Amino acid sequence: MATDVFKIKGLSFAYGRHQVLKDLNLTIKEGVITTLIGANGSGKSTLFNLMTKNLKPQQGEISLYDQNISQCHIKEFAKQVAIVQQYNTAPPDLTVGNLVSYGRTPYHSMGFSSNPEEDEKKVQWALEITNTVSIKDKPVIELSGGQKQRVWIAMALAQGTKVLLLDEPTTYLDVRYQLDILRLIKRLNREFKITVIMVLHDINQSLYYSDEIVAMRDGKVIAHGLPEQIITTELVKQVYDVDLQIQKVDEKPFVIPV
Amino acid sequence: MISFIVTALGLCGLFLISVNTGSLKVTPGELFQGLFVKYNPNVATIYDLRFPRIFIAMLGGAAMAVSGVLLQAVMKNPLADPGIIGISSGASLAAVVITAFFPTMYFFTPLFAFAGGMLAFFLVYSLSYKGGLSPLRIILVGVAVDCSLTGIMGAFNAGIGPNDSSVTSIVNANITMKTWGDFKTLCIYSVIGLLLSFLVTNSCNLLQLEDKTARSLGLNVNASRIIVSAIAVLLASISTAIIGPISFLGLIVPHIARLLVGSNHKLLIPYSILLGAFTFLLADTVGRTIAYPHEINATVIMAVVGGPFFILLLRRSKHSYGNGRI
Repeated sequence: MATDVFKIKGLSFAYGRHQVLKDLNLTIKEGVITTLIGANGSGKSTLFNLMTKNLKPQQGEISLYDQNISQCHIKEFAKQVAIVQQYNTAPPDLTVGNLVSYGRTPYHSMGFSSNPEEDEKKVQWALEITNTVSIKDKPVIELSGGQKQRVWIAMALAQGTKVLLLDEPTTYLDVRYQLDILRLIKRLNREFKITVIMVLHDINQSLYYSDEIVAMRDGKVIAHGLPEQIITTELVKQVYDVDLQIQKVDEKPFVIPV
Repeated sequence: MISFIVTALGLCGLFLISVNTGSLKVTPGELFQGLFVKYNPNVATIYDLRFPRIFIAMLGGAAMAVSGVLLQAVMKNPLADPGIIGISSGASLAAVVITAFFPTMYFFTPLFAFAGGMLAFFLVYSLSYKGGLSPLRIILVGVAVDCSLTGIMGAFNAGIGPNDSSVTSIVNANITMKTWGDFKTLCIYSVIGLLLSFLVTNSCNLLQLEDKTARSLGLNVNASRIIVSAIAVLLASISTAIIGPISFLGLIVPHIARLLVGSNHKLLIPYSILLGAFTFLLADTVGRTIAYPHEINATVIMAVVGGPFFILLLRRSKHSYGNGRI
């Protein structure tokens, strides 16, 4: 039986009077790729922000390996969960190598490292896995969109966590780099057993690259399971409010998005 | 590294020139002998009159420069300056009020100046917060707060008359008549502030990223902002309490420092200390020289040079400033 990474119970959240999440329950399994899908305004970004401690639950609780994350210090949390945010900025002269080494911050106290060798090793590993060694000395802002996204993932990997969360990692990228990033994510999961939880916009990429799909609508989870088991014309209609056909290619479901 | 060495040498050279600017002249040899070996009346006079102001200029310049670096890090805004956004006037207003109403509390003036600076800072920060901090809005709100506080101070001064010399000395921002006592006060607080600023270099670096990303690296973003701001306000307030409000120093020095040593705060903060000390001592020395025997106040020199510089930065801000979108 697989362990649960996240357990979310009775989670509610509102921005002022606008209720976004209502009594949401969800468990996320260890060792698999779980993707949150949903239309704009379905609450998936809010859920993501709550799971990454950027927002505080108003009701209910989120636990990570059976510990309530509200009680977990942000630094300890960063040793367990790495996050790649959708939108990022960097100072104009910050190099890739320096940015990736920021990933070791959770292990430092007062700016000093207790284990510089481990830091070095983890940073080097992160650079290699994301294929960014050759651009190590370049300023981050001079890179192409696809390279930048690899660098932000490298920084998250340098944290050396077993759980990785990504918020729309393929937005702003053309299709070649989208696949590039998704393949990297798949490899991280399969080869290094990193549990991946992400938000994606493209339904077919979600179906193809995920082990589990969480479909959201109006702040609730309306379906959760294997892609081929849960995806139906009705579910697509419910989630995105459009009628689309579904076809199978090599036993995998695809939605015809026109 | 070269920048550090050149600036340090420049500072030493400027120090010697500054010691010799005025009616009394001594050679470096005489100076050394007079200070450490045997009594020399010229050197003793210089030691009592010129040394305090030189050290105050250097320390105050360093404090204002670092204050600017820290504020710019917290607000992610290269145009933030403790003088422009009203922190200095908040500090001076508090200092003036304390000296006028509670002269016995004179010794605690720096602490009250700090409280005044904090108040001005939170006014500016909260008034310009509108779902985010727009760099230009901070400047506009800051200028408005600065004007109001300066206005209140002007009214206050006019109301009590020009008799209380300690009150007017603060407002007039004069470092001519400073003593070793003033230096001691400035030294205690600003050295504390400068040491604290070394402890937050990492937070400053992480604050340059998006808040969410900094948080994902385990940084308590809100707490860090408050701590870094408090150190910035402490540095600006203490130098304001002793020297008076200095405009633009906290803007020009970090800007040049960034061009020379980059935006990594581990280098930027130490270098800004050197360059801040150099710049303000230069302003003071120039002010003593160009209209000799009259003196032009160093803060006046800073304002005259800084104004055009600020406009230049504003005009260029779209092209080379701030963080690139990624």
